[in-house]
Amino acid sequence: MVYLKDFLYFLGRRAIGTVAIMFGVVVIVFLITHVLNPDPAALWAGARARVTTVESIKAQYHLGAPVLTQLYYFIIDTFTGNLGTDPVTGRSISSEILFYAPNTVELVLASLVITVIIGVALGYISGMHFSTKIDSAIRIVYLATWATPYYLGAIAAILIFAVAIPILPSGGMYSQALTPPHTITGLFVIDSLLNLNFPDFISGIRHLILPATVLAILDFGIVTRVTRSSVLDARWSTHVKSAKARGVPDGQANRRHILRNGLIDATTVSAVMFGWMLSGTVIIEEIFGWPGIGSFTYNAILNYDYPALVPIVIFFTLGVVIANFAADVIYSVLDPRITLGDAQTQS
Amino acid sequence: MTQSISETSGKMSARLKDTISKFRKLAFSNSLSTFGTVTVIVFGLLAILFYVTNGAIAPYRPNLQNLLDTNAAPSAAHWFGTDFAGRDIFSRVLAALPVDIGIPLFIVLLSALIGIVLGTIAGYIGGFVEEAIMRICDLFLAFPVIIMALVVAATLGPSLLNAALSLTFVWWPPYVRLVRGGVLALKSEDYMAASKAMNSSFFYIMRKGLLPNIIPAVMVYASLDVGTALLSVSSLGFLGVGIPPDMPELGSMVASISNNVYTYPWEALLPAVVVLLIVLGFSLFGDGIREASDVKVRPHMLLKKRMFGAMTPNDNV
Repeated sequence: MVYLKDFLYFLGRRAIGTVAIMFGVVVIVFLITHVLNPDPAALWAGARARVTTVESIKAQYHLGAPVLTQLYYFIIDTFTGNLGTDPVTGRSISSEILFYAPNTVELVLASLVITVIIGVALGYISGMHFSTKIDSAIRIVYLATWATPYYLGAIAAILIFAVAIPILPSGGMYSQALTPPHTITGLFVIDSLLNLNFPDFISGIRHLILPATVLAILDFGIVTRVTRSSVLDARWSTHVKSAKARGVPDGQANRRHILRNGLIDATTVSAVMFGWMLSGTVIIEEIFGWPGIGSFTYNAILNYDYPALVPIVIFFTLGVVIANFAADVIYSVLDPRITLGDAQTQS
Repeated sequence: MTQSISETSGKMSARLKDTISKFRKLAFSNSLSTFGTVTVIVFGLLAILFYVTNGAIAPYRPNLQNLLDTNAAPSAAHWFGTDFAGRDIFSRVLAALPVDIGIPLFIVLLSALIGIVLGTIAGYIGGFVEEAIMRICDLFLAFPVIIMALVVAATLGPSLLNAALSLTFVWWPPYVRLVRGGVLALKSEDYMAASKAMNSSFFYIMRKGLLPNIIPAVMVYASLDVGTALLSVSSLGFLGVGIPPDMPELGSMVASISNNVYTYPWEALLPAVVVLLIVLGFSLFGDGIREASDVKVRPHMLLKKRMFGAMTPNDNV
């Protein structure tokens, strides 16, 4: 078993690494937005801004200062949450992000759950029926869904399940006729359940089904592929053979030694999926009218709202970094083969 | 003199024939990868034809508006119908092909080049240099692709080159990891030690010992990756960033039509399905090659000949 001391050491090491990556992320975003770009103030003010506006923006974001001073302010502002005001809505960008973030988290978590369930199940079936018709059928399914662009999946889902067979709502997060529940966790579906507000809960679930499933179905291919290849690795390995030779029933051997291996790999790849899904939310949320960071990003693009885009990319990236950290920790708990303290060689 | 030239060209053509026959075995190894290969070839030829003939193969000019014939359903005159401005959608799809196949190819090739250079340096030199390159890789892997590309594209301004560069900016790290993994595996081979003992230069070792063993794996990964790159390019187009607005691009065509999507669904669905077909084509093509050359799965695949060296993109996942 894992010793607590080793585990804490590993956790600390990983946490330091994560913070270092966060710093790196902020510095790279700074380089793109402040250094790569010859005249940041003009871009931040927009194409048709007056000279006075450009000047005031230059002062507000310290854009006239030397580069290192700018970097200093940028890092301080980013980590204290002082991200400036959104020129379109007039509210502070950090409050906008905090307002929209829970909705995106809800959507992504729901679709992550769906992804892992479908992905692992299909990958396991596919690996256990290697080189048969079932295997190639599943391969066609995951390649086809992986190849589907988000906008095609979303539009097709709306046309089928909201227009042709109107069983699900085509957009929004809950029915406008209902009052939203008290905020507890910020996630609509969980809040409504905790408040025992069942009409809200059902409405929330109904609105969640289409966007979450589309996001999940278009991305589960990676999980399937990884699970399948780890099932194939395990299937003919000596430890499974010896388990079966010892007289362990087939079903139990498959569950314990093959499926569990697949689950470990699926967890790691889920962190990668998280980044893809966050990217996908920009399109999915826009098409489904889901009030999350994705829609916020889309509107920022539409309005040439550059000051809002910069914190958004940092926010999204920090989400991925934290997800990677979480996946590392979960992986180290799940996989007994991992030797803590020497995690560096894993990459 | 003439004899030696004809001799070498004879050798070359034999080698070429050998490569072609190997490629055919891989690309047409089963019905799925045959479908992929055929799709890739058909769309690739259409894109090249459109580009070379400067649009002569399209039935209409892609930006020709005909306000008397807007939102027409698919018919013999307009195979894919017309859009809100009466432009022929089929011609626009053809016009988008060079962009939608060219940019992903550019992204993947440039990323592969960066990957080969940085990955070989990291794997071969090792030590601090390797550590630095790999940590920078980790950093760039953290960026969500489309979101980061959005910001880079918004910073650089709209042009095709900028759209391609903004995606390349986040596209290269997996290639560095792939190549570095391969170099590390090759480094311990005996012939590498022998070559070093003979005091061969780094570039000689790279040219003769490393690249021939690494490039096939990079190509397998890249052939799978072109489709993924196309998904991202067309997503940027859909979001209206990077790709110039007047340029026919499949994703931006879908976006420009999405107001009408309930009334005239084919206007959005047909260009989107073309994206699906191209991406699927590249995936099946690449996946077929990967499957046929996968070392891990190979022993159970009833003795198909081993094509590539010690590594596959899979080893690095």
